[in-house]
Amino acid sequence: MSFQPALQAPAATPISQPLARAPHPLRPIMKLLSYIKQWKSAARETIARASIAAQFLSLIHITDAYICSTTLVQGPSMLPTLNYSGDVVLIEHLSHRLGKLEPGDIVVVRSPVDPKKIVAKRIVGMEGDRVTYLTEPSYSESSRTVLVPKGHVWIQGDNVYASADSRYFGAVPYGLIQGRAFLRIGI
Amino acid sequence: MWSIIREAFDKTLLVAKAYGILHITNSYLCTVALAYGPSMIPTINLTGDLILAERISPRIGKVGVGDIVIVRSPVVPRRVVTKRVVGMEGDQVTYLLDPHNSDEVHSIVVVPRGHVWIQGDNIYNSKDSRDFGPVPYALVEAKLLWRSFVRGASIPVCKFACDWSSGMCGRLKILVQCNTYQDRRGK
Repeated sequence: MSFQPALQAPAATPISQPLARAPHPLRPIMKLLSYIKQWKSAARETIARASIAAQFLSLIHITDAYICSTTLVQGPSMLPTLNYSGDVVLIEHLSHRLGKLEPGDIVVVRSPVDPKKIVAKRIVGMEGDRVTYLTEPSYSESSRTVLVPKGHVWIQGDNVYASADSRYFGAVPYGLIQGRAFLRIGI
Repeated sequence: MWSIIREAFDKTLLVAKAYGILHITNSYLCTVALAYGPSMIPTINLTGDLILAERISPRIGKVGVGDIVIVRSPVVPRRVVTKRVVGMEGDQVTYLLDPHNSDEVHSIVVVPRGHVWIQGDNIYNSKDSRDFGPVPYALVEAKLLWRSFVRGASIPVCKFACDWSSGMCGRLKILVQCNTYQDRRGK
């Protein structure tokens, strides 16, 4: 067995350059995880603040929709009670749910002709009442008497000469009433 | 002692917040209801079906002919009824005046502006627009999204309705007019 000289030593790697390592296969994911860790605390605080804001907004909304709210009412149909160019009115939403509305109350009602519009008028007759009204107040004295059907109310504006109310679109179902105006804050 | 009061206050606040979130979801997003009665047979069972109804579509005006909607009754304001929309504003609606006695008597109605015409699927035993006229659109509260597969959830109150209606059911010819509407069977 002849002694074979050692194979030529491999070329010495220069000491200053470290061996190149293969890139870790999961490196982008690990980067993402580290970013997420950094932002986790910020996200937690954001969620906490957002939930406080959401609770506050829902409290305001529940008060506004079910207890008391304010509206700007304008137009000529409730002169002289309400101003033509606008009045801020406080509306309470409890009476109509408890069934405590009476003739003479000013109510805020969703219009049966245009579902997006809300009008303020006065209740003249509840269900079962007989209501007499002037059909053409500007021109003649002729009047008509009508029986308010079950589940409906008859609303009229205080200014009968310029008011589109139940004389025009008939008795309004009680379910369309949104609230009762109880305080006027005149501008 | 103050710690007890404070704990009671905190728990009450937690319950109030949970209720507030539930209520807002129920009133503005989607609501679960039990619909029972003979007026929507065979779509909705006599003894009750659990239904999921969403409240966003009526607000953005996406209610159309063929939709089953939940509507506040114009005759009894505290009651909420489930019927199908047969005509929107401006549509001409044809319906049978007296389905028990004759097939020939029709009546054509043009639905006024801002109103919808609703009818139950079971026209032989349904109080709908054929009785109380077109309903203002603002009374439409929710649109049906889904009906449970488990039919006929019976609760004690429904038993009374079932006994009362079983006399009527014997005389029913269920003539389903579903070829003109989409049949919204639970998804």
